[in-house]
Amino acid sequence: MAIAQFVVNGLLVGALFAAVAVGFALIWGVVDIINLAHGEMVMLGGYTAYWLLSIATGTAEGSVLLFLATIPVVVGVLFIVGYALQRTLVSRVIGTDIFLTLLVTFGISIAIQQLAIQAWTANPRSIQVAFADPSMVVGGLVVPKMKLVAFAGAIVLTGILYLFLQRTRTGRAIRAVSQNPEAAALVGIDVEHTRAVTFGISSAVAGGAGAFIATILNIQPQMGLIYTLKSFVIVVFGGVGSIPGALTGGLLLGVVEELTAGLVSSQWTLAVSFTLLIVLLVVKPKGLFGTGADNEH
Amino acid sequence: MSNTPETDDHAATATADDTVLRTEGITKRFGGLTAVNEVDVEVHEGEIVGLIGPNGAGKSTLFNCITGTLTADEGRVTLQGEDVTDWPEYKIARAGLGRMFQETRIFGGMSVRKNLLLAAQEGGADIGGLLRRPDDSLMERTNELLEYVDLGGLADTRAGRLSFGQQKLIEFAMELMAEPDLLLMDEPAGGINPTMLENLIDYIRTANDEEEATIFLIEHNMDFVMEIADRIYVLAHGERIATGTPDEIQNNQHVIDAYLGRE
Amino acid sequence: MSTDPDTSGLLRSILPPKRLDRLFDLCGAHGWKLIGAGAVVGALPPVFGLREGYMMTVLSEMFLFAILALSWDIVGGQTGYPSFGNMAFFGIGGYATAILVKDAAVSFPIAMVGAVVAVLVFAAINGLIVLRLRGHYFAIATLGILLAIQQVTRNLDITGGASGKILFDVPPGIVFYYFFLAVLVVEMAVVYYLTQTRFGFILNAIRDDEGKATAMGFNTTYYKTAAWMLAALFTGLAGGAYGLFNTFLDPQTAYNGAWNVELIAMALMGGTGTVAGPVIGAFGLHTIIEYVESSFVGWQLVLLGVAIIVTVIRFPKGVVGTLRAYANEMDYYERGGMAATDDEEVTTDE
Repeated sequence: MAIAQFVVNGLLVGALFAAVAVGFALIWGVVDIINLAHGEMVMLGGYTAYWLLSIATGTAEGSVLLFLATIPVVVGVLFIVGYALQRTLVSRVIGTDIFLTLLVTFGISIAIQQLAIQAWTANPRSIQVAFADPSMVVGGLVVPKMKLVAFAGAIVLTGILYLFLQRTRTGRAIRAVSQNPEAAALVGIDVEHTRAVTFGISSAVAGGAGAFIATILNIQPQMGLIYTLKSFVIVVFGGVGSIPGALTGGLLLGVVEELTAGLVSSQWTLAVSFTLLIVLLVVKPKGLFGTGADNEH
Repeated sequence: MSNTPETDDHAATATADDTVLRTEGITKRFGGLTAVNEVDVEVHEGEIVGLIGPNGAGKSTLFNCITGTLTADEGRVTLQGEDVTDWPEYKIARAGLGRMFQETRIFGGMSVRKNLLLAAQEGGADIGGLLRRPDDSLMERTNELLEYVDLGGLADTRAGRLSFGQQKLIEFAMELMAEPDLLLMDEPAGGINPTMLENLIDYIRTANDEEEATIFLIEHNMDFVMEIADRIYVLAHGERIATGTPDEIQNNQHVIDAYLGRE
Repeated sequence: MSTDPDTSGLLRSILPPKRLDRLFDLCGAHGWKLIGAGAVVGALPPVFGLREGYMMTVLSEMFLFAILALSWDIVGGQTGYPSFGNMAFFGIGGYATAILVKDAAVSFPIAMVGAVVAVLVFAAINGLIVLRLRGHYFAIATLGILLAIQQVTRNLDITGGASGKILFDVPPGIVFYYFFLAVLVVEMAVVYYLTQTRFGFILNAIRDDEGKATAMGFNTTYYKTAAWMLAALFTGLAGGAYGLFNTFLDPQTAYNGAWNVELIAMALMGGTGTVAGPVIGAFGLHTIIEYVESSFVGWQLVLLGVAIIVTVIRFPKGVVGTLRAYANEMDYYERGGMAATDDEEVTTDE
């Protein structure tokens, strides 16, 4: 029964990892950039929700509805952040050496992270969402209500992103640019704008996930890199640009981490995640799902 | 992919004659598509052999199977009497196979001279050779070769700054430096202007006449290939449909049909 | 990515490209003398009485970072494999020395030998995994290994866990000053020599086009591994001494991810793929960071991030690379580039 409980915990957290990784995979697939500042979008999303709630209630506590009301704002703010980053900085290194693109996003990551420390100190914070009865028990398994809300929120964010890409005109433009930017430009798609929108919506989804993370785990300025690397593990597992792959990968990673924490020790979860990354890169560098990106460019 | 028992016998017969390259039943599939289907070719010492065919005929795939860039699904490749089918690419190159690429590949971040020095086979892969600085005789050779291809003044320029045509000449000069037993050229005439094409024909001819360089080349420029090749193989849909002298090929009905798209 | 027209106009009058080009030729011709002169200048301050204190530490750290940046550049700049995990070598070297000195009670020099062996074994295994990967995958795999090692170190008893190891009875600061200086000078000499050999040419060839290098008969795995081991050797030596120099080692300092970025930034700002570039970059950036650290506490990493962004966007070739491009801007034309038979447009993939 303990193992079943760990699996449930893992799935609940894993959905959040997946929501973060989906945007990472999207940027990688469409803009062909590993965005090492992706985790900082999660962090900024968490802080945005935290401050909105603090302004509204005076403390970082509130009801579920009040908390959920912050999500659209978080998503909007992070969209703007992502869009602006791509337009002002990242777009200048697209098409140059891969190493320069990595370095510029790493630079952004450090700058945002350190500014956040200056602004909000390095202390961890979390959002307290009040429930009359915090947990429910289903078939002998404990399911904290807030984790369930976060899980649902992550799935909804991922689902909306998926529908957006499949159904809307902008979504089709994004997919066109991911397949062939030159051809997309020839048929009249504004490639630069589309890439910036991709950055924007990826950051928005990551930020939304960050807000949920603030409620069930905690947030602090230096949390970003770990989420970036988890996203990398998930995308390597699921295949570049594949949303179903990222979702499966996220859930699995959550389960692996919770099982490690439950059966070994929570100290070892990160070591296991990073080792998993290395093993995946050795065994299957192009992902288990989908076509995967070309290893060579 | 097989080391059949008769490999050694075969090697013995191959060295007895002047065959530099022999492929037997080379087949390469990509998913459901058979890109190259049981192709046999032979190149003899001192020959210039052409490989032609419509786009998608499998010419470059055949080259890649010979060089070891791709591994053939079936068949064997013999170079200078040795079965190299399962060898890694670098080892086949070391055994005497040179290659010029269609898109022209040289080392853009290095000086023109270093590109040539790198191509020299002296020193090889042993530690002493690797850790020695190039000696005067090697420097002399690079100077001679650069003068020969008319790029003497550019020895210390970054190779990436050169024009496409000049880079092609450098790639050719690198092969003259390396003196491979067999040189594969993928569309040497592609993308260069007529004057330079004239020069290139001269250089290839001279290398063939004076150094007895053996060359196997893919080409789309028919005038060029008909002028320079001793023999020609024609591929279509991955299969060898004809072989013969340029005259024979020009009058071969199968070849004409293949180029016009008739089956 | 050229400099602004007005500043370059001024630069042009003070230092015309031709003169700078001659200066570069002169430096190239007298490389050995320059390295020797650098060694002498570096050895002088203690002779004139600088034997301890803040300046001594800062100078030692400058040598240390120069070693790290130059080591990174052997693989990142010369061979084209930008590692984000070089600090793993540093940490392994540091912990191996610390454990040997503290727990096995061996002397510092013997512990260093042990540390080098440990680092080389680790680098061989690590290289086997990551050197098969390219581009994004290589970069992230190296970072992943760094973080995995850091986590493992944090959880083991022998390494002292998260609280790390405190080291007593360490040699005086001047020992480390000369140690770091000596390692740096030797490394510069080695790298300078290698860039003139066939081995160095092959590394550059792998950077420019690994597929072509393979097609020319080079077993690139072999050369990449050699470069990787060389970088590990020098980084490990620096790490081994660092623990004792600092008298303290914990997972956060030994596998410092920020330092890893810092040393990449140093190589990049100075100019990758050169001998002088990473060293100049290390001296320059460390001086700036040191200044910011003492004047605006807590802002040095913000500055690092901004500096990286600006460098990547404005001067991706670094100081040495930018100056060299400026010095050589006309040589293609002057050396008969346009007089050749081909009249196509010159490719300017700078």
